[in-house]
Amino acid sequence: MPGMIAELPDEGTLLRTVIDKLLEEQQQLTAVERFSRRHEAHAVPAHSRYYRDLIPRTKPGEGQQYAFGVDLDACTGCKGCVSACHSLNGLDDDELWRNVGLLHSGTSAYQQTVTTACHHCVDPACMNGCPVLAYDKDPKTGIVRHLDDQCIGCQYCVLKCPYEVPKYSKARGIVRKCDMCSARLAEGEAPACVQACPNGAITIGLIDRAALTVGTRTADRLLPGTVSSAYALPTTTYRTRRSIPADAAAGDAGVFRLQEAHWPLVFMLVFSQMSVGIFAALAALPVSGGAAAALAVTGAGLLHLGLAASVFHLGKPLGAWRAFLGLRRSWMSREIVAFGGLAGIASACAALHSLPFVAPVVPATAIIANLIPYRLGEGLAVGAALLGLLAIYCSAMIYIDTQRPCWAAGHTVRKFFGTAALLGIAGAAGVLAWMDVVSPGGYEGVWQALMLAAVGIHCVLFGVDVAWLTRGLSTGFTYQHRAARALWLQRQGAIFVTAALFCSSTLLALAALIFTGLPAALSATASLGLTIGAQIIDRYFYFVASEPFRMPGPVPIRQEEHS
Amino acid sequence: MTNWREKAAAALRQWNGPLTNDLVLTPGQFGLGQVPARLQPDDTTTVVCGYCSTGCGLNVHLREGRAINITADSNYPVNLGMACPKGWEALTPLAAPDRATTPYLRNSRGELEPVDWERAMVLFCERFKAIQQEHGPESVAWLGTGQICTEELALLGALGKFGMGMIHGDGNTRQCMATAVSAYKESFGFDAPPFTYADFEESDVIILFGSNLCIAHPILWQRILRNRNCPEIIAVDPRKTETAMASTQHFAIRPKSDLTLLYGLANLLIAGGSMDHEYIAAHTNEFDRFAKFASHFTTDRVAAETGLSQDDLWRFAQTIARGKRVSFWWTMGVNQGHEATRTAQAIINLALLTGNMGRPGTGANSITGQCNAMGSRLFSNTTNLIGGHDLGNPQHRAKVAGILGMEEQRIPTQPSLAYDQIIDGIASGKIRGLWVIATNSAHSWIHQTEIRELFAKLDFLVVQDMYHNTDTAQLADLVLPAAGWGEKEGTFINSERRIGLLKRVSKAPGQALSDFNIFKLVAQYWGCGALFEKWSSPEAAFQILKEFSRGQPCDITGIADYAALDACGGIQWPWTDSTTTPLPERRLLEDGRYYHPDGRARFVFEEPRPMAEIPDEAFPFLLLTGRGSSAQWHTQTRTGKSDVLRKLAPAHVYVEMHPDDARHLGVEPASLVTVTSRRGALDALAFVTATVQPGQVFIPMHYVSTNRLTFPSFDHYSRQPSYKACAVSIHPAGKTPTRPRVS
Repeated sequence: MPGMIAELPDEGTLLRTVIDKLLEEQQQLTAVERFSRRHEAHAVPAHSRYYRDLIPRTKPGEGQQYAFGVDLDACTGCKGCVSACHSLNGLDDDELWRNVGLLHSGTSAYQQTVTTACHHCVDPACMNGCPVLAYDKDPKTGIVRHLDDQCIGCQYCVLKCPYEVPKYSKARGIVRKCDMCSARLAEGEAPACVQACPNGAITIGLIDRAALTVGTRTADRLLPGTVSSAYALPTTTYRTRRSIPADAAAGDAGVFRLQEAHWPLVFMLVFSQMSVGIFAALAALPVSGGAAAALAVTGAGLLHLGLAASVFHLGKPLGAWRAFLGLRRSWMSREIVAFGGLAGIASACAALHSLPFVAPVVPATAIIANLIPYRLGEGLAVGAALLGLLAIYCSAMIYIDTQRPCWAAGHTVRKFFGTAALLGIAGAAGVLAWMDVVSPGGYEGVWQALMLAAVGIHCVLFGVDVAWLTRGLSTGFTYQHRAARALWLQRQGAIFVTAALFCSSTLLALAALIFTGLPAALSATASLGLTIGAQIIDRYFYFVASEPFRMPGPVPIRQEEHS
Repeated sequence: MTNWREKAAAALRQWNGPLTNDLVLTPGQFGLGQVPARLQPDDTTTVVCGYCSTGCGLNVHLREGRAINITADSNYPVNLGMACPKGWEALTPLAAPDRATTPYLRNSRGELEPVDWERAMVLFCERFKAIQQEHGPESVAWLGTGQICTEELALLGALGKFGMGMIHGDGNTRQCMATAVSAYKESFGFDAPPFTYADFEESDVIILFGSNLCIAHPILWQRILRNRNCPEIIAVDPRKTETAMASTQHFAIRPKSDLTLLYGLANLLIAGGSMDHEYIAAHTNEFDRFAKFASHFTTDRVAAETGLSQDDLWRFAQTIARGKRVSFWWTMGVNQGHEATRTAQAIINLALLTGNMGRPGTGANSITGQCNAMGSRLFSNTTNLIGGHDLGNPQHRAKVAGILGMEEQRIPTQPSLAYDQIIDGIASGKIRGLWVIATNSAHSWIHQTEIRELFAKLDFLVVQDMYHNTDTAQLADLVLPAAGWGEKEGTFINSERRIGLLKRVSKAPGQALSDFNIFKLVAQYWGCGALFEKWSSPEAAFQILKEFSRGQPCDITGIADYAALDACGGIQWPWTDSTTTPLPERRLLEDGRYYHPDGRARFVFEEPRPMAEIPDEAFPFLLLTGRGSSAQWHTQTRTGKSDVLRKLAPAHVYVEMHPDDARHLGVEPASLVTVTSRRGALDALAFVTATVQPGQVFIPMHYVSTNRLTFPSFDHYSRQPSYKACAVSIHPAGKTPTRPRVS
């Protein structure tokens, strides 16, 4: 095809690849393929004459796989590939597996449209994150396929993929993605996008997986502004004869985009972390009897509340039992298993602690109460606290593992364990304050000390958040800056609400220290409520201000994304 | 251990099931590759696309006669198996929930209310007749389109003028190709675009004037990429468009300096002795006068006025001089200008003087806009008498009257007003009733605020459209529901004169009728049904069109019927030999005989004039408008109905501006700015990019607010609006405009 570039290698590898290519070409017998008139009898698709030079004539060999190749010089932005992919795969009305973005420069008259779909990575981030093994990398073709009926709609792959490939369908409750038209390739047909490009800009090639595994450096990127290719080892090759200006940026680089809030996860994280904090308090504090029972029941209740909330995040909750399948690779699996175990221990702990109070009322339980030593309950509290901390670590790793710049390890760990500490201590203080109302004098010193500690922790956490925001707003074009700007431009009200919640909860906590009895318990509870509210908004911020790495976006833009 | 674990995992993974089955592919048969199993066709047929003038063949997948999917036709000679997103999505707008499914009448509360066809037709005739009786036949006019079939356009033109006694009718083709018509007619003697698309593949130099082919006509860019001569591709455009990026040379001239540039190039070519003396002597008139005129366009002057360097000019001229097969192409950047006709003719002059005409890979070639722009040019019976005839010519009038079997007096001798003059007629009270067919004037017309006010002034406004809620339909007194592309039969004529076939592959919703049938209905109710008895179907009408064309340069009497069109993948006019099969690609003027009585082409030229509204201190930026993406069509009444197409284009109006200007004005990328002209204002998102030059801004035409800003200036000869030149100011939205800096 004219306009097509046979090979545009790096200068260093020029000789080897050109020779290899020519040698390889020399060995191809093409007379039958090129000049046969079989297609006239519809034995092969009439269209095949346009694409037969754009796909490999052989199947991938050992260690090889299929890969998209894009000749940027031939991509002129008609977007026929996107439509063809949509129509030839029978996608939902608003579902796109391929997209066309734009690179442009702020200083030179340069623009480049970029067609992009799944990169069928050698080390697919989506697959590594999937808790139910709903992704499969075909050992022969290397195509990363999604098993639609296995998917539980947790959308973790959507967070994991740094190229925005998996698309979640609310109506279907599952994710779907490009499979490189594997069924077409199997029959010697080109993928829809390859068939449809008027300029032959998209090709399918064979690449050696080992070359990517060994040869990919941290600094390598598919295109300016995309994630380091070392993360997932994407196989697509973008080629151009033009030089891409140093300041080339995505068409929508100026847009500060808020991400999806994932409300069920917001509640799940806050409540589960609070629960673990309370179990830690239970294990650490010298409490027993009714107070211990109250703490254990509160902790278990919060955990179940959080886990119940998380179910609403799943598109197919009935399949969630499979979540252990991904244990070997997926932090999501690990989190689910850890919290699943925690739910059992926490429930048992709460039950044991409650038995002495239930037994007089329900005689049948008295037998059990007599059989089980009380110390087992105490042991379970320690167990719950330890497993809980591990579960929170898994939660944190879920987000850290996405490589999103705003979900850096320190930031995430501080937030998640910070919430556990703050709400665990404040929650324990609240519970014990009420116990103090029921039987005065027992825990007065304890809950007041806890309250004071909570105030201190809240001050530190809030201070760090304010520093994060102000630093983000003042620094240059970092992801933190973009996240801070997005929040400041679009969620200013919520920022001030958080500040108000912090101030009022702190004042109420201090008031609780001054009061005694019922007013003190009421103030402590109100302070706790406001603190939980502040943490929920903070976790919401954590999700919405988390711009992922992605492929270059098109010309801006939607207004709602901006103001 | 691993083995056990893998086995267990495999057992717990569901590889198949209902969700997986949704995406299963199956062989499509009929020469298709694999298709989605749930969309497997039981037959296929080729239909010409209904968006732009490229005229692609779309392979419609049918099940029980109804369209269920579309692919690009692998064998159609225009598009060779490819299509742009609009074509791929051609079926989606048909299923939109806001289709007009019944006539609507504006009630006493001012709302559009469903009525039946009987009431609609009685009212239609009653109101228009009453207006004509009170104010004369001139007082009711129509605004037509390049989006409906030739047979429909012809019936509308004949009905309007010969049946209903109207004098004035024009179409939205005035906005897209009127200039090419005027230019060809005066230079060649007939409106005859001489090329065939294969010329893209045959040239060694391809020059694109004001044409963002990659976005506006992607399939024609595909044809350029099939050129095996490694051609020089020159883009002349103020912006670094996708096409300019992909070209081998780009000349970013000052907006509206193209006429000067073209005369300057002519001067360089003549001075350098690069003209084809033989061709000039044998086939043209007025060359010597032109050469003398062009000699005033010195490189000094041209460089100063176009903003190009003298080296650029030399390089440009040399590229033309060295080319053996140079083809010159122009689109809306030329057609929509205040001196557009002369600019198009200046392009023609370059082709004539270098002898780049009539041979493969040559020509002065107009790429037009709409799918049936050329059907409208030849058969709409508006400015010309139907079939490319002359209203003032008694023989032509007799011929047309004879074919229609009617008295010659029915043919008005008074020429029709052009679109802008009809709008002026509404302002002056001369036009009081208007029938708008398949166009969205309230969005697309230049200086939109005015036309909206004027439409409100009309005594009776009828809008005939697929949708009841277009910007224009919302102003109507009566809305007539029309069937759309794919729901009716007829023909379109594309840029290379190819007559392509439209077929009925989808059922029109509710009571929507094809435009052809609506016109038939109007004829019945108006009382002139007998006059159009022979127009029993679109195909019968096609036979009448053949008779109109007899003896004209556009003679199509050799095309037997629709089946012949279908079998050949469309047929280019002229075709008079019914006994043989035409070649798939044919060009005009291979014999060098033009259509003036002396058989010669004319050099037509005129001193350039400055544009009407030049940026000044108060409005320091020049606003350019044009196509924004291949996924949007004109006012988006159709493309806006497809989720896919909507996702492929920015939802919000945006303005491209240079980083230097953005810095001066304190505009941040992607922030909201207010763009103000003397006529209106809009808020747009700033797309800060160096592809536009400092002092210029660009806003796509697809957004409804864009034409609030444009300045109503027109080419004197073609009456085509100059959409790409008006002065605006810009400031960050929500802030009071500071004194703008002239950059």
